[in-house]
Amino acid sequence: MLTEVKKQLKVSLLSVKYGFMREALNKASLFSSIFFMIINNSCMIVQWIVLFSLKDNFGGYSFKEVLLLWGLAASTYGVSRFFFRKSFNLSQTIVSGALDNYIVQPKSVLLSAIISECEPSALGDIIFGYIMYFMYGFKIHTFILFTLFTITGGLMIVAVAVILGSLSFWLTNSDQIADVGNSLVTNFATYPDGIFKGVARMMLYTIIPVGITNFIPARAIISFNPTLLLINIGATILFILTAFAIFYRGLRRYSSSNLMNARV
Amino acid sequence: MSVIEVKNLSKTFKVKIKDKGLKGSLKAIFKPKYKLVKAVKSIDFSVEKGEMVAFIGPNGAGKSTTIKMLTSILYPDKGKIKVMGLDPAKDRKKLAYEIGTMFGQKEQLWTHLSPYDNFKFFGAIFDIPEPVVEKKIKELSMLFELDEFINTPVRNLSLGQRIRCEIVASLIHEPKILFLDEPTIGLDPVVKENIRTLIKRMNKEYKTTIFLTSHDVGDIEKLCKRVIIVNDGQIVLDDSMENLKYHYLNKKIVDAKMKEKINLDDEDGITILKDKGYNLKIEVDITKRSISDALKLLNPDNIIDINISNVPLEDIIANIYKSKK
Repeated sequence: MLTEVKKQLKVSLLSVKYGFMREALNKASLFSSIFFMIINNSCMIVQWIVLFSLKDNFGGYSFKEVLLLWGLAASTYGVSRFFFRKSFNLSQTIVSGALDNYIVQPKSVLLSAIISECEPSALGDIIFGYIMYFMYGFKIHTFILFTLFTITGGLMIVAVAVILGSLSFWLTNSDQIADVGNSLVTNFATYPDGIFKGVARMMLYTIIPVGITNFIPARAIISFNPTLLLINIGATILFILTAFAIFYRGLRRYSSSNLMNARV
Repeated sequence: MSVIEVKNLSKTFKVKIKDKGLKGSLKAIFKPKYKLVKAVKSIDFSVEKGEMVAFIGPNGAGKSTTIKMLTSILYPDKGKIKVMGLDPAKDRKKLAYEIGTMFGQKEQLWTHLSPYDNFKFFGAIFDIPEPVVEKKIKELSMLFELDEFINTPVRNLSLGQRIRCEIVASLIHEPKILFLDEPTIGLDPVVKENIRTLIKRMNKEYKTTIFLTSHDVGDIEKLCKRVIIVNDGQIVLDDSMENLKYHYLNKKIVDAKMKEKINLDDEDGITILKDKGYNLKIEVDITKRSISDALKLLNPDNIIDINISNVPLEDIIANIYKSKK
């Protein structure tokens, strides 16, 4: 079992390496996409600077805490897009019959399908996330927590993308549902949770798990609480297991396709 | 020893249907209609170790669906499959080590990497130790003559070179069975011939069983000793290439250049295919008329040049497709 995990990890890392090598072919494009992503994210902070000049507190968050929230949102998004870019196009992969190549290989079909491409601009998001964290304030234990939450949050976003993408096994044109769902997870991530009430708040801790990927980690970094850490890790494992279960359940319904395909 | 055993295999797809136009599309949202398409209907066959089998049929006959069920890509609805003693639906990972696949319409190589890096990647996928992969790459690049371009990015290779690399990638783990789906699609005649020679050589050297689908009669005729023809989801013929030719080659084409024009009409056992005065092309059904009878009709003294040939295999197969529909 452990050997199999090691072998899978080796192939997955090779996939990431080769995916990144493709993007690194054009160095100017690679560096400019990273740079402009950082600039793009920075522009969003300007609106918060303006808002905080009017009021000291939004939804229970100070300016520095909003920066931390932004940092978590950017870094989790970056991890999900850099390592698992294709999880966001899973519907297309399923519908076009591109899973065929992965099914005939003795490795995890799901991991092979979602790791084979990376998005270089997402590195800009990860860098921006850490800049925001440092602006919030560096401490060794919060740095470790921030890194841990970046990984669990990234994996959680990927798990949601896989669940939504896997709907294509049952529904036609479900890529639109997946696109909307994936946008929701990102869009709500940068607002303080105190501004959401009632049903909206409940949704953010369940079907759009921004609460678990961002709000709980932010609270745990601001004031450490082991229960919050356990909730985050437990929920991440639960979402990952659910994503695997739904994908492999759907794979039994996979109908392939004879569309012309190239791995470009 | 059978390496592939298929019994009573069936597969049905549920396909959504809709009426014409926007109205039809809107109606389909609220009241979707489906129809069941039986792609494979209870087929049986087996393949022995080292055989080279052509699995052919017209478009939509069910050959790709069958090959995909044999390689774990699709789940069958009914029936039993054993490939190398394994059930493709249950033992996907184990089976992957035993088989190689090459789908002519789907590339599995990373185009920005060189064939060498791609082969190393495939080596890692199949858990092959580094020194063994290196040795295998050397051996296969010699067999498939890849030395000239093994370090060139795949995107810069010609289609023929790329197909050779695709085949090598599917052989890196020494599969016992190689499934080739349209391996020569889009290639020019010289490259096609080259690929066929290499496949033959591979079958001879490694005793790899070849299961091939192709619309190219040249692939079938030059590579395979056995043909399985499927049409409308059923096997309509499973025979050796020799028998196929023997039983179906009961018609000869006589192409003659004449000194003087002759008047000849269709009659029992003789069909005029082309009559351009001095050039005449007739088809002789040798179950009804002998060739010598046909020649007498033409008058041997009147013939300047003559060519007697078999009906092309392509026509024979097309006729089988049509007649067994």
